Amino acid sequence: MSRDRGGLALERTLLAWRRTALGLAVLSAAAVRFAAPQVGWPAVFLGVAGLGLAVAAYALTDVRRRRLHRDPRRPTTGRAEAALAGAAVLLGLVALGYVLSG
Amino acid sequence: MRRTPGWVFGTGSEPDPRFSLANERTFLAWIRTAVALFAAGVALEALGQPIEPRLRTAVSALFVALGLLTSVQAWLGWARTERALRRGSPLPGPTLSVVVAAGVAVGAVLTAIGLWA
Repeated sequence: MSRDRGGLALERTLLAWRRTALGLAVLSAAAVRFAAPQVGWPAVFLGVAGLGLAVAAYALTDVRRRRLHRDPRRPTTGRAEAALAGAAVLLGLVALGYVLSG
Repeated sequence: MRRTPGWVFGTGSEPDPRFSLANERTFLAWIRTAVALFAAGVALEALGQPIEPRLRTAVSALFVALGLLTSVQAWLGWARTERALRRGSPLPGPTLSVVVAAGVAVGAVLTAIGLWA
């Protein structure tokens, strides 16, 4: 893998991670804010947990960038993927609670 | 650092990292799709007035449920694809994505009917 082409793919991937994790974190925070009055404590727990996972995934992107520059052949440990998928599921549960309680 | 899940990273060998990175970006695109589906369901429930309430709730819940399905499939697809890349075996097919696409189409049609009726 030539360094130039590999570097661009790494950059693109890191940016995709950041915008996805950031979007999820912002929406999780908004979900807690807007669903809590209607859905109550479950929304707060799920929403905050989802927010935590999304923020963790975003923080992991810095770790990821350092690791990638050291060894580009191993892009991921799989933890950030699990964290982000978990954050999405938790956000979806809050959304479901909101929709069904309306 | 140990990598997870074991059934993915425990087999095969390191693939060309560009393929792993492409796999990650695909996973992320699916996650953003799931979030868009959540937003569609919530928006319909919160903003869509001129629709029969039970139908509106049903379609909203459908969109959110499809988003949940998509979130799970995003991760499963990533994991299975990564394993296939490591093994050099054929990449997994669409499976749940087809169901999600069909569900979104159904939801859109129901919404249009609800708005029109």
